[in-house]
Amino acid sequence: MPWTDDVVAAFREQEVRLIAYVADRVLAPAIERMAADPYFHLVCLTREEEGVGVLAGGYLGGMRGALLLQSSGFGNTLNGFGSLILPYQIPLVMLLSVRGGPGEFNVCQVPLGQALPRVLDDMDIPRYDLDRPEAVSPVTRGAVRLAFATGKPVALLLSTLLTGGKGGRI
Amino acid sequence: MDRMAATRVVLARAGDALIVSNLGSNTYDLHALGHRPANFYMWGAMGLTASVGLGLALARPERRVIVLDGDGSLLMNLGALATAAAQAPGNLVHIVWVNGLWQETGGQPIATAGAADLAAIGRGAGLRRVVAVDDPDGLDAALARAMAEPGPWLLVARLHETGSHEPPPVRPIANRDEFMAAAREAPKA
Repeated sequence: MPWTDDVVAAFREQEVRLIAYVADRVLAPAIERMAADPYFHLVCLTREEEGVGVLAGGYLGGMRGALLLQSSGFGNTLNGFGSLILPYQIPLVMLLSVRGGPGEFNVCQVPLGQALPRVLDDMDIPRYDLDRPEAVSPVTRGAVRLAFATGKPVALLLSTLLTGGKGGRI
Repeated sequence: MDRMAATRVVLARAGDALIVSNLGSNTYDLHALGHRPANFYMWGAMGLTASVGLGLALARPERRVIVLDGDGSLLMNLGALATAAAQAPGNLVHIVWVNGLWQETGGQPIATAGAADLAAIGRGAGLRRVVAVDDPDGLDAALARAMAEPGPWLLVARLHETGSHEPPPVRPIANRDEFMAAAREAPKA
């Protein structure tokens, strides 16, 4: 997948090494790529909010990271953002596989997937769409730079328009 | 065991360790016993103290990292024990104070007041170096090992409540900056 190459290259260039993740079919190739690359240190989580803590600790120790998750799992992270990331101004990059949009087959993915942009806006978390191949590299690189330069979380929203969705059949 | 006395035992063994304290009592006690730049005081994110300690331990493998956690908070994030066991950072010392209460909200009893056993849960999560203690000497002996031998360690200490109730006058952002500078330093021998 070309988007996978671009995301992994942007993470490397920006020294994003600590990769905390919860499984997702769309993100799987990126996770596998980074797991096979000793530059990255992967942490398989039990729940997304745990990753907010792990990445905050990594940042405090001087290691940049990113959280890879599904839009539904973002719902599990909210208090981590509200009472750790935002008040301490800790940068946190999220790569979100957005469910509940074009191609979705599971109604249980729809409410949170579709509310995601509004929830992010309400939490003052900047969001950027990865929905076209040519956007992936500059948007990922730029969002990571923004996060670490300003102490903000950022959300990169992986669209099914780019990835083809679960199983590649949008 | 008295909570403040137990925190004193930890500090006497801590050396230059990076310490992350759980919201409420643990943060208050740690600050009340004397501010150190290597203290990271949490004010929120209940349950995430163990995870912050894990991330820190992975980022700074040369430094000892001590997590001062509470039983009510850890019960919110038991998965963190499984993740710590899987990652197995040798420099992580996770200390859990067990009072069987939600202390900050009025002392309501929680699962650890009854049958829940955090040491057994830690072992079940895959942690090998788990010690349960209930007095200062036991805690001190466990810490002596935990600060010298590879972990990850889980020390589960039963105690009662006599710590500080004084929120420290520390702003999170200032704490973050000072702590990050302390974390960058090389370990002292």
